[in-house]
Amino acid sequence: MGRAYELRIPPPFDEAVKSMEREIMRFLMRSTGDREDAKDLFQETWLRAYRAYPSLQTEDGLRPWIFRIASNLCRNRVRDRMRRARVITNASANGAALGDSASSSARGGPDAMLHLKRSIARLPGKQGQALMMRKFAGLEYAEIGAALNCSVQSARASVYQALRKLKADE
Amino acid sequence: MMSTNKIATRLEQTPIDDGVLDAMINEARSGIERDMQLIRRPEARVGVIPSPVGRLLIAESKRGLATIHFLALDGAERTLEKLRKKFDLIENEASTRRVGAEIDRLFKGDLSVLAHRVDLTLVESDFQRRALTSLRTVPAGAVITYQGLAAAVGHPNSQRAIGTTMASNPVPIFVPCHRVIRSDGSIGNYGGGVENKVKLLRAEGFNVGRDLRLPARAVMGHRKTRIFCRPECSAAKRADSSRMLIFADAQCAGQAGLRACKLCRPM
Repeated sequence: MGRAYELRIPPPFDEAVKSMEREIMRFLMRSTGDREDAKDLFQETWLRAYRAYPSLQTEDGLRPWIFRIASNLCRNRVRDRMRRARVITNASANGAALGDSASSSARGGPDAMLHLKRSIARLPGKQGQALMMRKFAGLEYAEIGAALNCSVQSARASVYQALRKLKADE
Repeated sequence: MMSTNKIATRLEQTPIDDGVLDAMINEARSGIERDMQLIRRPEARVGVIPSPVGRLLIAESKRGLATIHFLALDGAERTLEKLRKKFDLIENEASTRRVGAEIDRLFKGDLSVLAHRVDLTLVESDFQRRALTSLRTVPAGAVITYQGLAAAVGHPNSQRAIGTTMASNPVPIFVPCHRVIRSDGSIGNYGGGVENKVKLLRAEGFNVGRDLRLPARAVMGHRKTRIFCRPECSAAKRADSSRMLIFADAQCAGQAGLRACKLCRPM
């Protein structure tokens, strides 16, 4: 007797994405640097992903796919803010954005962390997002490539360039 | 100047506490739940069953059977794609086995199983929905022509559109598109294969001839007057084609509760 899983039916949406909640929230928190923005984008990511879930062919591509949605939303948010000529200051960002104050002071003090945060914020969009995905969400280069719609080599190069720019800023 | 490796190490060692993330996720969840209620697709249980007409992919929602797909003829990819756009699919063999048991009972002569509720969510146009709903009123043991069904839904010249509707019927067997035949008396095509059309018609008591045409003793029955005639009867020729059904023989028409015409005396 045949079984439905032979038909390659992806698991229900809630079940499939449950394990990625923390990763996505961490990525959004790092990307936006603001707790309320991160929660807002998290909600938006979930709703967009649910709507588009039927177009996802297999479960294998789920992780980069959902990161792609999240990173697109981050980019849209920044673009919208720039259009409204709002000044985004990293100083107003939540302290948890790049780690709590206790951990930052233990590794060079709050000033050094603030400087690093500003340097990351100044990175070009793709490099910044590739760096976030690699260093904070732990994605493989292939997954970053799929999420940012570029090749594995390009994803690797983006992370490298981002780190090089941070080093030059130090 | 700090090395690239040291920067990477520092980035990796500045974690956000899982507790903070969980609290934020919980705060976001209430908004997600509220919005998901508006966009959540209904659930449908899916599975594959063997049957006397080959392996079938079954999908059933709370409203009824949403899809029956003959797997012997082609893959299920397109059907699953359509289903996923409208439903959240859940693998559930127990539910689909129950439908399989009903199909087995149909082939053993239990026609009551055909009253199973159907969910026509996958039907795309109002015309198609009306045609399929109207088709369900054709009793087991009788057939109707494409032209007759087109007339029954108020479009007497739309027999080709009826053909397209039958070809895309999402719930064959339970929405009996196998009961639609050509006006020339041949049984026509079937999405699940002509062989299965013949099997289904025979299971319902309509004995199709070996030449895949209506049997010579077939009679025409009128749905409203409940009278059946020979095809050549002048009364049958005058009658509204949208109300005419075809029975395999006079006995079948009699069993369906119709009386014989007093002009042509088919019995």
